Amino acid sequence: MIKIYGSLVSRATRNLWALEELDLDYEHVSLDWAKQKNRSPEYLKINPAGKVPTLTDGNATLSESLGINLYLAQKYGQGGLWPDDDAGRARCVQWSFWAGAELEPLAYGRIREFLFKKEAGRDQALITDMAERTGPLLNLMTLSLAEHTYLAGETFTLADLNVACVVEYLERSNFDFSNWPKVESWYTNTYGRAANQKIQDQRAPIAAEMMKRLQG
Amino acid sequence: MMITLLGKAISRSARCLWALEEAGVDYEHNPVDYTKGEAKTSDFMAINPGAKIPALIDGDVAMFESLAINLYVAQNYGKGGLWPDDAAGQAQCLQWTLFSATEAEPPGAARLVQFIFRTDETRSQEVLDDAAERSKAPLATLETVLQSQPYLAGDSFTVADLNVACSVEYLVRTDFDLSPWPQVQDWIERCMARPAFQAMTAIKEKEAA
Ligand SMILES: N[C@@H](CCC(=O)N[C@@H](CS)C(=O)NCC(=O)O)C(=O)O
Ligand SMILES: N[C@@H](CCC(=O)N[C@@H](CS)C(=O)NCC(=O)O)C(=O)O
Repeated sequence: MIKIYGSLVSRATRNLWALEELDLDYEHVSLDWAKQKNRSPEYLKINPAGKVPTLTDGNATLSESLGINLYLAQKYGQGGLWPDDDAGRARCVQWSFWAGAELEPLAYGRIREFLFKKEAGRDQALITDMAERTGPLLNLMTLSLAEHTYLAGETFTLADLNVACVVEYLERSNFDFSNWPKVESWYTNTYGRAANQKIQDQRAPIAAEMMKRLQG
Repeated sequence: MMITLLGKAISRSARCLWALEEAGVDYEHNPVDYTKGEAKTSDFMAINPGAKIPALIDGDVAMFESLAINLYVAQNYGKGGLWPDDAAGQAQCLQWTLFSATEAEPPGAARLVQFIFRTDETRSQEVLDDAAERSKAPLATLETVLQSQPYLAGDSFTVADLNVACSVEYLVRTDFDLSPWPQVQDWIERCMARPAFQAMTAIKEKEAA
């Protein structure tokens, strides 16, 4: 049975979403990293970096949230999350790395300010700078979404899932999308899918709890 | 139908040249030079509207993002070599490639920028030190894994090694002292000694000449 390690307030939600899209049976092991459960010797055996998420599936063990999603799509999502044509598949890989290498540093840099700092202590210059550098990336998405409904073509694929779970950081930190209406409506559509809704519903109370702790 | 890699060799295109050389496929190299505005032409931006190199064309496929290009090359032209045959090895290749993008490359690239685009006088020691600090965690992870196996996905060199090595190489090129991580040091030397890496280096040297 597939096992996914990582709590609902971690990047494991990206993989839970993918697992739900694929309608797979899985066991969710919610390591509480506030309690350092991710540093136990047993866990370090499967992920020596001590980070979450990690996925195990038979002989295969891997970490890196967006990489796990590529694995799941390739193995279980043929014709769906993982398109049948070479061009579509190349786009799925491309957008996954774009999400990790280009968008995540900015989007995560921004949300960190919102999560771990109280309003008065936030670095406004950093937030503004990050927002300015995010603009060109959203322009790029807009161009692609002008050509087709979804990032890799006319149907929802892994490209959308992996990018949406990073755009999520922007949305959660009140980013103003009004200059990028195509991105906004794509995000609403994508992020609102039933498979993700199911995970977000489970996450909501835990996240509220965490925010209370962090923001006091 | 021929594969074309677009992007001058002295850039992140180098890692794709390395992968193409490892795979041993025929390809054309179009050294699009972003420093001369060549990535901002409408032809190039039809492939990557983000106007960054590298990009790859292969028949119907047109894509960007260097590490993604390497996965594409490995999956399509490197079966049994760059791309292992077993599901466990394939999973490792995906993991390490993303690890490179999100954990190893950001500090390495931050250091390289200081070396390439700054002079000795304008180089920021603060940025270099901060990036060196941030390199320690990913290096420790690599060290642990390489203590029990010669390559990142197991017994042989795969795209996992290639895609991580091209980020660790940024540390080598910026005089970072790898000696606290002896397995990593040994591994990166083995990676950089490969004929395909040397072939890529030769392309870079020719371009610089
Ligand atoms: N690039 C990794 C990042 C993983 C990561 O940083 N996970 C966080 C939680 S979302 C974590 O485990 N932090 C604990 C730690 O760093 O000790 C991925 O996408 O999976
Ligand atoms: N994440 C991208 C980064 C690509 C990138 O930044 N390429 C640089 C050259 S190494 C570039 O084309 N820069 C042009 C610019 O930013 O205008 C990748 O890995 O391919």
